[in-house]
Amino acid sequence: MNVASMVANRLVWFMPTVLGLLAVVFVLARIVPTDPAVLAVGENATTEQVQEARERLAVDRPLPEQFVEYLRQVAQGDLGTSFYTQQPIVDDLVERLPATLELTIIGVLAAGLIGVPLGVVSGLSRNSWLDHLLRLASVLFIGVAPFWIAMQLQLLFSMRLGWLPLSGRIDDFAPETVTGFLTIDALIAGDLPNFLSALRHIVLPTLTLALPGAAVIMRFTRTSVIEAVASPSVAYQTAMGLPRRVIVWKYVLRLALNSTVTQLGLVFGISLTGAVVIEAVFEWPGLGTYAVRSILYSDYNAVMGVTLCVGILFALSNLLVDLLQMAVDPRGAP
Amino acid sequence: MATSRREILKFGLLGLVLLAGNSDDASAQSRTRFVFANSSAFDSLDPHTVFDQGRAAVRFNLYDGLLRFVDNPPKLIPWLAESYTVSDDGKTYTFRLRADATFHDGTPVTSADVAYSIERILALGKGPASFYLDLIKPGSTQTPDPHTVVFNLATPSAIFLTTVPNILVVNSALVRSKEKDGDWGAGWLARNEAGTGSYVLRRYEPAVGWSGQRFVKHFAGWAGQPIDQIEFRTVQETNTRVLGLMRGDFDGADGLTYEQIQRLRQSPNVQVLEAESMRVFLLALNNSKPLMNDVHFRRALAYAFDYDGFIKNIMKDSVTRNPGPNPVTIWGTPPGLKGYSFDLAKAREELAQVKQPLRRITINALAGYSESEQAAVLFQSSLRQIGIEADIDVTPWAVVASRFAKAETQADVTPVWRSTFYVDPNNWVGEGFGTRYHGTRTMSYYSNPVFDQLLDEALLTSDQERRRELYEKMSQIVSDDAAGIFIYNTRWFGPYSTRVSGIRFSPGTNGNDIRWATMTR
Repeated sequence: MNVASMVANRLVWFMPTVLGLLAVVFVLARIVPTDPAVLAVGENATTEQVQEARERLAVDRPLPEQFVEYLRQVAQGDLGTSFYTQQPIVDDLVERLPATLELTIIGVLAAGLIGVPLGVVSGLSRNSWLDHLLRLASVLFIGVAPFWIAMQLQLLFSMRLGWLPLSGRIDDFAPETVTGFLTIDALIAGDLPNFLSALRHIVLPTLTLALPGAAVIMRFTRTSVIEAVASPSVAYQTAMGLPRRVIVWKYVLRLALNSTVTQLGLVFGISLTGAVVIEAVFEWPGLGTYAVRSILYSDYNAVMGVTLCVGILFALSNLLVDLLQMAVDPRGAP
Repeated sequence: MATSRREILKFGLLGLVLLAGNSDDASAQSRTRFVFANSSAFDSLDPHTVFDQGRAAVRFNLYDGLLRFVDNPPKLIPWLAESYTVSDDGKTYTFRLRADATFHDGTPVTSADVAYSIERILALGKGPASFYLDLIKPGSTQTPDPHTVVFNLATPSAIFLTTVPNILVVNSALVRSKEKDGDWGAGWLARNEAGTGSYVLRRYEPAVGWSGQRFVKHFAGWAGQPIDQIEFRTVQETNTRVLGLMRGDFDGADGLTYEQIQRLRQSPNVQVLEAESMRVFLLALNNSKPLMNDVHFRRALAYAFDYDGFIKNIMKDSVTRNPGPNPVTIWGTPPGLKGYSFDLAKAREELAQVKQPLRRITINALAGYSESEQAAVLFQSSLRQIGIEADIDVTPWAVVASRFAKAETQADVTPVWRSTFYVDPNNWVGEGFGTRYHGTRTMSYYSNPVFDQLLDEALLTSDQERRRELYEKMSQIVSDDAAGIFIYNTRWFGPYSTRVSGIRFSPGTNGNDIRWATMTR
């Protein structure tokens, strides 16, 4: 299967996946015992105003009819208006998405940068004290709740050492953005103070996000390295007398990379959802904090908008992983 | 040219030093900057739709009303208006505006702006609109000259004046120019401001908060060393608010529990201000439901709550017992009103007089508010001792508010606060239990013709002594009928940086009116 047909195949499956996702979220949102009309007009509105809003929002119609109407709007790029922000959901998402993407992408990169080398070291020194220590640490970081890690990092680096900020994305309000990624925008503008400020703010959230991801990647890389080391091809290269460094860099890593790429994709998806908790702790102004607020205020449209957005990102990340896998190892092309 | 490892290490170390260094140079050079960690999100800046206490900072710093509440007990002082008169029939309120007041863009404030503002409130129908929808007909407000505005009420209203601070004045010319599809500029004003307030909006990011620069030309002038720049940042995570205050990142915060306040008292960077407020915590009863409509059953419930235990053990004696519907700090409660005490023997006696078959009742606690949840658990436990089983349903405020909208959906019991929207007993006993407020601001669906008659008179008469008498009678009726279970009046705790002074607390503004405060650099 070539790249084009693989992408087409994924896109064909993409639509029913999103449709199913929307259907589930739509039904769940409507099960919550809250009247969207009351939320739309405010708690002080008169009964007549609530009824008027109910008709305007079509929430007095049967559920299937409401869903079809919602799908029609989504198809036109209209995710509705937030009851709380009074803004189009699309605008809200566009405003907050870069913050989440910046955190997640840097987090996943950091997870890879930490996890892959440690996995290689662990795999190559199998059953040594270092291997045991790294495995123990990985279990710890996979098992411990991210918010606990976040709070410990805050207590250590912000409260005790005073090295890094406690929360937020930048010291003051963000300057006008180009990409929405504050670190990149500050670099583009040649604004060193804001670049450093953005960098200092992103360290702890990124670390919180990266540590569990790094632990997962480390374990998978370790397993892949052990398998690669035991493979006939590596045994052959060793028998041929190639230096260990060359074998590791040229053959072992290459063999191990396939599963690592897959894990990076999964970690990206998990990190997107994990960002909800991390953003809340660090007051990171992204999709996560928006999702929490929307759920707390029963802002149906916003909850569905976030779900749709995260779902699309997840699907795209899977597609990207497939493409990367094809590049790394064309034999395993789907 | 190849870069040596030594050079890479050197640049790396330099980077780390810069990273760990203090990057607050910019703010240090600027003048005083007050940063408040706000528990509620500032998702909109529209002063005519944002009405909850959690976002009060927008209303009191970016905008002004004709009158304003200050201090505790609250005093109503002239603000954009320099004087006012009330007609003999109590239906016409004439305000004379200050001549020197200007909007942030320099435009003078005129009566047309006030008229536009009330029309906008009525048209949007949100926030403070429920005070005026039955009282002021659209188009009825007159502007005989640029500095005189006349409100013609449909009926006399004794509470109108106390609600006037909620009519925040917007720059009509500016907002009109931003109107889109007849939205009264709602889309624009949600993200911008058009006020006269003590601070001019500097930056706004819905996901982060907002920042304001002192409006030097504010009509009220400035005394002492006011704060130059204010920032209200949304910090929803309680722990982050606490740590940020201790660390000095924030100069003030809200939404903290008493335990956290006690923890903050230990911090050398934090001072805790406190004052008796006007916010009654009650178990709101839905009087319209079967069984709940039996006075003996309600009295049984009222005798089954452990008031002292709750205040002592859960609230750590940080609040005052409030026996009636009105806060103990305002007039309108009969002298000597004792309310109910925890007495299970009396509860059983009352229960024995209930004619209807007993059923399970539902307690709807507020998610995220530990006092509400703990009150629900405590009540459930003592109710079991008198043979009443209760289910606890914990839901966010949005769900609770939605349920309050209809008698059929409001839970049997809801542990909730009644805040200060205007300073008059009508805010509590009147709106809480008058039939005229069913479906809007009631929390009880209580209906009593005698009560309603007293309420009608209290809303019409301007005789203060008569009003006092009427509201005292209403409070007594509500207490006798156990139409609600009243527990405590909230004590306000304001944790602030030790650098801050001059915070002027008032129950209506909750200390958010920053113009009076100063701070060291």
